[in-house]
Amino acid sequence: MKSIKRCQHIITLFLSIFLVGMVVLVIKINREASFYMMNSDDHRLGMVYDRRGDVLFDGSGRGQYPDGYFTDVGNLIGDDKGQMDNTLVARNIDCLNNYSFSSGLVEKGGKAAIYTTLDHDANRAVYNAYMGAKGCACAYNYKTGELLVCTSLPSLDVTRGYADIDSMESGTLMSKVMYGTVPGSTQKVSTVISALEIMGRERLFSKTYSCTGSFVNAEGKNIDCHQSWGHGDQNIQQAIENSCNPFFAQLIQDSDMPLDRIKSQYEKLGYAINGEDMRYFDIDGIQCERASTTLTDTGDFITQWGCIGQGDTLVSPMQLMMWQSAIANSTGKMTMPYIISKVTDVDGKVKKEADTEYSKQLFTPSTASTVRQMLKTNGANNYGWQVPGYDIGIKSGTAQVKEGAEENALLVGFVDDESHPIAFCVVLENKYSTPVSAEQILTTMLNALYS
Amino acid sequence: MDTAKLIMCAVSAAALDICALVLMITAYREKSSGRKRWRKISADMELADRDRGYPLECDEILIGRHENADIRIHDMSVSRYHAILNVADGKWTITDIGSKSGVYVNGVHVEQKRLRENDVITVGERRLIFRKRRDRH
Amino acid sequence: MSNPLAYVFSCIFVLLAHGAMLFSVFYNGSYDDVNAVIVLMAAVIGLDAVYFIILPFFKQQTYAVDFMLILILNMGLIFQSCFGGVEFRFKHFITMIAALIACRIGYFACRDHRWIEDKRKFIWIGIGILMGVILLFTGSRSMWISLGESTSVQPSEFIKPLLVLACATSVTEQQKKHKLLCFNVVYENLILFGIVAGVCLFQWWCRDLGSIPTFGAIYVSGFLLRICYPKGKYSKKPIIIAVAALAVLAVIGIIVAPPYVRDRLFVDVWNDKNGHGYQQAQALIGIADGGWFGKRPGHGFLHNVFAYNSDIVFATISEEWGLLFSVMSVFVLLMIMAIPLVNPPRSYYHGSMCAGIAAAFSVQMALNIFGSCNMIPFTGVTLPFISMGGTSMVVSGLMAGMLVAAQSPAFKAPKKKKQEQKKPQPVPSQQMQPVPPQQPQLLPPRQDVPQQPPVSYTLTDRRK
Repeated sequence: MKSIKRCQHIITLFLSIFLVGMVVLVIKINREASFYMMNSDDHRLGMVYDRRGDVLFDGSGRGQYPDGYFTDVGNLIGDDKGQMDNTLVARNIDCLNNYSFSSGLVEKGGKAAIYTTLDHDANRAVYNAYMGAKGCACAYNYKTGELLVCTSLPSLDVTRGYADIDSMESGTLMSKVMYGTVPGSTQKVSTVISALEIMGRERLFSKTYSCTGSFVNAEGKNIDCHQSWGHGDQNIQQAIENSCNPFFAQLIQDSDMPLDRIKSQYEKLGYAINGEDMRYFDIDGIQCERASTTLTDTGDFITQWGCIGQGDTLVSPMQLMMWQSAIANSTGKMTMPYIISKVTDVDGKVKKEADTEYSKQLFTPSTASTVRQMLKTNGANNYGWQVPGYDIGIKSGTAQVKEGAEENALLVGFVDDESHPIAFCVVLENKYSTPVSAEQILTTMLNALYS
Repeated sequence: MDTAKLIMCAVSAAALDICALVLMITAYREKSSGRKRWRKISADMELADRDRGYPLECDEILIGRHENADIRIHDMSVSRYHAILNVADGKWTITDIGSKSGVYVNGVHVEQKRLRENDVITVGERRLIFRKRRDRH
Repeated sequence: MSNPLAYVFSCIFVLLAHGAMLFSVFYNGSYDDVNAVIVLMAAVIGLDAVYFIILPFFKQQTYAVDFMLILILNMGLIFQSCFGGVEFRFKHFITMIAALIACRIGYFACRDHRWIEDKRKFIWIGIGILMGVILLFTGSRSMWISLGESTSVQPSEFIKPLLVLACATSVTEQQKKHKLLCFNVVYENLILFGIVAGVCLFQWWCRDLGSIPTFGAIYVSGFLLRICYPKGKYSKKPIIIAVAALAVLAVIGIIVAPPYVRDRLFVDVWNDKNGHGYQQAQALIGIADGGWFGKRPGHGFLHNVFAYNSDIVFATISEEWGLLFSVMSVFVLLMIMAIPLVNPPRSYYHGSMCAGIAAAFSVQMALNIFGSCNMIPFTGVTLPFISMGGTSMVVSGLMAGMLVAAQSPAFKAPKKKKQEQKKPQPVPSQQMQPVPPQQPQLLPPRQDVPQQPPVSYTLTDRRK
């Protein structure tokens, strides 16, 4: 009878709503149980491996490792103690959970693990190459995006705990690769890219400016060259090789370089301009600071220095390295780096696998190949003897920090080798008081990666 | 220990499952006996139209043209809600509920009347026969 | 008894289910003294046996609901007695027996739908009295009346079955339309709306916000069965309007809500897992820790968390017995509600009553289970038949009794009135008497009937 049917329909309605809720609940619990367990006081963590299966982090705490075994990647991989939060383990701790809803916590033999793309040997070699100096170095495969080296000094051995946290130097608990630093002349790569995008190759190469060691800009302030007697008349290729500041100041001031176009190109490259809120981009959960600079007027002193690599400009080594991938690939698109190549769950089943991803178009492929050629010429002319045996495109930089008290050496570039497509960035802090040069560190790194 | 625990869990879960199943079967068995009992209460009557019989499955059966009526008669002479059938102790009663054309039992216009077997009910221009149910399942 | 075989089999399998659980407790449970387990076994099996012996004397037509009731009640007793170590919870046992008695009361009260429908006014008065009691005895910020040291009663719970009865309706009742401001309305529907609005506002004032959704659901089922059925166009409009009104009310409610309510509504349990989110966070961790098969009875951690045996009881069971088992217990509860789908009620009043009960139970279960699992705001209502708590237990028993009544209805003829031999007198429509279905049988056909309005039938809206 219809009337009774109607009552039954109402009952069915309520029951089915509840049933749907119940199904959702069971599915939700199944999916999120491991997250719930991570919030419990009781958990069992798995391992982090490098690309060859070498241990980078031992969540079980049972393994025996030599002293300082993890120091080279200590502040990148981190641990579960909660002291460092922008690290691989802290950001991906749920991937390491040796727990599954059906089998519960696995005391022994859980196979939850993160397999990273890092090369532990190369990292250690680079770490040792610094010989106690500070700085950071990173390198990745610009074709696939695998991050190979990412070391930052000073670092720490996470197995020792944090008892002496108060005596640690500043910068120990973070990977400097992810944080902004003054780029020095490596910034000129961005400026050249912008100039090429704005006026094109022919126009830019036809321009020559004279350097007398110091240039008085539109505001009447001096922009000095590191070579006090000047470089004379130069074109863009010579200026890149000489890293000539007055040349670039005049280029910025040129009427062919309108400010709004510089700004829009910088924004494309990913800069946060004029105090725009700092955003982060993320590499497998690890936050990396975005580049930032100030651009107010092409005749402005700070703006000009910003485009030369001092002033307010800050770029993370990671981002400097990523731009090199866009140049090295001649595509104008960055290859996005990743650290985690795969994640396995407690049963050893692969849960997540990385894939190569590219950024959107930052500049045209023709600009990319022009810059690539310029950097390669620079490498061939000036670095053949300093980094012997490698066909590299490179730009060096010297950044004044601490108000001119210290100078950091920077090297960004790429190796033009199909079998070893490596883009890199090396930062050596306070370069005049170190027993080693940035070029030596770079050579060590490339040697380690080639072996 | 773990296997024993698992077995215990499986056993008690299975016992609960089987019990639930048995109770469901009981409910279905009771459904058929409930139907039998309803036949007793309703005296197993039905309303027969020209070509079909309407079983009387519950108390308060609405006759009318409206699509929600329990016995829906497609005929413009029938009001949307025409009449209602009630049952108590095996006795059915028909009540007019404000129809335009009225309810007639055996040709007599009624507002409310107890029905007996083989009464002819006229609603609008349609004739329904109140009779023993024939399509036994 | 129409199905002796089914009855005996049901008894056996209920006993088997309890036996398997008790054996599991004996084998896996955490206890110091084996006597505790023996006492529990004796209580459960004893109650089962006594119940199965007494039950046939009620001469019901169906027993399925009763079996499910004793199954779930004794399961609840076993669950409750195992939390944090086996110990027979005598208080829970007493409330269970009270629930079984309440079930009988509900059965006898509701089995004759005409009788209980006739008592509609008393139900309204009952709701009024309960509200008065709350007003006088509990005060505006509490929902408990304390009786002595450890006993307290939550009177608002008792409104639930009464509201279910008030929402149930019959076809005949819905035919009594009255013209009011160019709308055809049934007075009862208006009165009911007033009652529900009153109850909800009252609960708001009492800060008993957990029960408002339950009342709302009961009313929604009643509303759907009133508006969409007899007379009144069957269109989607009223439903859409009602849903829109509900949504607006909910939004207003959230805006007007006092800060402590909003804290509960929008709490991110994982960011506040030691504060407001503690119970839920622990409940979820408990469920995750238990996994499919649980940590064995008595070995859980959740019994250290507040309200482990009432508000987050689902999680506590999941932790100790496993998610599989707790979901299955919930399915037994669902089966109780689904019984009217198998064996249909035989009158609209009973049907709408069953729908109201299903609405009340399912919403209450949803609030409890999904609330403790952080899918919806945590309100702190009880899980019927399983949670510790006398009032909720008795009320759930009463509602189960109403389901039993709908399964074994009685169709008694209304008492014949002597004056029926005379000409029927027009009865004022406000007097909600059911239509006496019986007329004098041997009266000769009367020609004057059309002029004579029948009993309980009004002239106002007929023959338009």
